[in-house]
Amino acid sequence: MRNLLDFLIKYNYWFLFILLEVASFVLLFKYNNYQHSIFFTSANIVSGNIYELSSNVVSYFNLQSVNNDLLDRNVYLEQQLASIRKQERIEGNSFSKHDSLMNYKLYKAYVINNSLTQANNFITLNKGSTDGIKPEMGVIDGNGVVGIVYKTSSHYSIAISLLNGLSNLSCKIRGSQYFGHLKWKPGDAQYAYLENLPRHARFSLGDTIVTSGYSAVFPEGLMVGTVEDMLDSDDGLSYMLKIKLASNFGTLGNVRVIENLNQREQRDLENSID
Amino acid sequence: MKDSLYRIGWCIGLVLLQVLILNHIHIGGYATPFLYIYVILKFQSDISRNYILLWGFLLGLTVDMFSNTAGMNAGATVFLAFLQPVLLRFFTVRDNVDVFKPSAKAMGSAPFIRYIVTGVFIHHVVLVGIEYFSFLSIKEMFLRVFFSTLLTIICIWGIESIRKQV
Repeated sequence: MRNLLDFLIKYNYWFLFILLEVASFVLLFKYNNYQHSIFFTSANIVSGNIYELSSNVVSYFNLQSVNNDLLDRNVYLEQQLASIRKQERIEGNSFSKHDSLMNYKLYKAYVINNSLTQANNFITLNKGSTDGIKPEMGVIDGNGVVGIVYKTSSHYSIAISLLNGLSNLSCKIRGSQYFGHLKWKPGDAQYAYLENLPRHARFSLGDTIVTSGYSAVFPEGLMVGTVEDMLDSDDGLSYMLKIKLASNFGTLGNVRVIENLNQREQRDLENSID
Repeated sequence: MKDSLYRIGWCIGLVLLQVLILNHIHIGGYATPFLYIYVILKFQSDISRNYILLWGFLLGLTVDMFSNTAGMNAGATVFLAFLQPVLLRFFTVRDNVDVFKPSAKAMGSAPFIRYIVTGVFIHHVVLVGIEYFSFLSIKEMFLRVFFSTLLTIICIWGIESIRKQV
């Protein structure tokens, strides 16, 4: 008996070995092919997370080709857009029939007075309240956003130019949802600054800045300018982008005034919270 | 204690290397290095056999979890862990009673290489045997064992030479 015990103690690793091998084979036959248990497969939380991490890292190596594809796509769409625009011009379809502008009405107007050099610049238009122009309508020209109507008389109206310290336009980078506020600083009539853009926003120099559509003045996606330079905001908490404005304010002539047919509704709703 | 922590570090590193990189290597459709058994092969000569068996099982099971091959690596690694002390005794000089960690320096180059080659070969035979689980495609199995063994040994030799220099 004692000998037997001695034997068992001396060779106890044999039992462990057999036990572990049996356990392995039980696992092998039970879980392989059937995947009854997620615990012993890559679906469990530890291996799942590690694989996710790894695929995140690996995906970076493909960014180059993904980027190239996107560039190709971009050029293709750009060409398509150009041809559609051309067609639109030829067929005389007015801009207002465009789907995204369904809720907006356009008025033609002409700039009769304009300034560039003052601290607060205004634009005078040759259409007034009798033509349907009302304050807080947007003003655009062929290249992009110009300003917002401020006051109207019966036949004239005054718009706050983007080149105005009072102007505060909600803009975003095209293709993303990061938005900021466009401000102008007295000085150069070609550049304005997009403030309060979050630190994590992704963009590159030359990106297009468009209206965000949050303000109930402009529809979403109207051209404002392109990113010229990247600066830190004064408090250092966000980016400030130097924007080259798309419109040439020195040669403003024919413009369009945009009326948002739902503006009052949106304003009332937003004010009802306050 | 320090030794165990050290070993756990090696285990994590090698398992990650195995499942993230080495498992995706299929040179010629056959050769896959199974480098994680390096941990088992490096257990010192006086280790408790139960201890090394448990290590082998856990190590193999971890690799299995990532590879979706429940039991395969665990079985093969336990087998290697069972044979490791035997192999170590077999390939060292009889009168050597000191406790040592398997390495070219402690055992001499030739015995160490023989020890590594035998250990890796046995592990791969068991692993591939379990994987195919039939003798119908014996030629493929042989090729897989042969080339994988070669690759694993090259990897182990690489680690050894790096560690020697450090």
